[in-house]
Amino acid sequence: MRDDIGQGKIILPAKISRNAVINIRALLSHPMLTGMSRDQAGIPIPAWFVKEVEVTYGGDRVASFEWTSGISRDPFVGFSLRASKEAPLTVTWKDNKGGVFTHSADVKFTTTTAEATR
Amino acid sequence: MNAPPGTGGPDSLYFVSPQALRCPVRDSLTRRTFLKSSALALAALAASAGTAAASPLLRGPDNEPDEDVKTVLRERFGTRPIREGHVTLDVPDVAPDSREVPLLIESDLPMTADDYVKGFHIIVDHNPDIYLAGFNFTSAIGAATLDTRIKMRRSSHIRIIAETSKGELWSTSRFVYTSLNGCV
Repeated sequence: MRDDIGQGKIILPAKISRNAVINIRALLSHPMLTGMSRDQAGIPIPAWFVKEVEVTYGGDRVASFEWTSGISRDPFVGFSLRASKEAPLTVTWKDNKGGVFTHSADVKFTTTTAEATR
Repeated sequence: MNAPPGTGGPDSLYFVSPQALRCPVRDSLTRRTFLKSSALALAALAASAGTAAASPLLRGPDNEPDEDVKTVLRERFGTRPIREGHVTLDVPDVAPDSREVPLLIESDLPMTADDYVKGFHIIVDHNPDIYLAGFNFTSAIGAATLDTRIKMRRSSHIRIIAETSKGELWSTSRFVYTSLNGCV
């Protein structure tokens, strides 16, 4: 089994100015198993996928995603955000086995690259 | 007199040997035959244009959802009308890897505090989960764009439905050809 499950990152653009619409990319390491495949011994591999994703920005919920196992392995999602304040952007992934993974990045009106892991 | 290079006999002033051109030159290709054949080709193109628009290979199979998809749509959206427009889906026509089909969804609908895109819904007709994913937004997002990767079981329509905060539904669909089963 992979040992990187739950690792992830939130990638913000290098330059953020106030009230600009920025592109956010959120990536998580997760197998996203559909439950329809079998291993080499012919035993079905149980489903294991991220069901819910929640995006908060400075404590306010700005987006939430409702997923099935149809999203690809190591789920990636890119979306927009209006950078209205300097606040942490947090993404929480919840899978169907009770796993909760949280990663965040700080939105800052600077010209440095903001990249966060865990 | 004004024959193009490569025509005429070896004695002609304009004769260029095929070896000198490094590519085959057809002896019969004179100005007259070229014009004649190109006119024929144009006529053939014009004749086929009418049928090409309706060709299922070019356009993909019929856009009409089947009963299973209609049931899912009815459960999700009730009897609200789903109109086409205001949403664009960028996806390859032929997916190289059906385990990772990249989608880029954009909408030109307004994104203001009282009128915004509440969500995108991804529906793939021939997947085990027809309703593949839903993405809910608030007006804090600023722009309705979405970029993700999905799995596909086989060649199918991908339908995107954008729901506005006023309850309007706008959609677009694309047929995507895949070669392998992406259910892993």
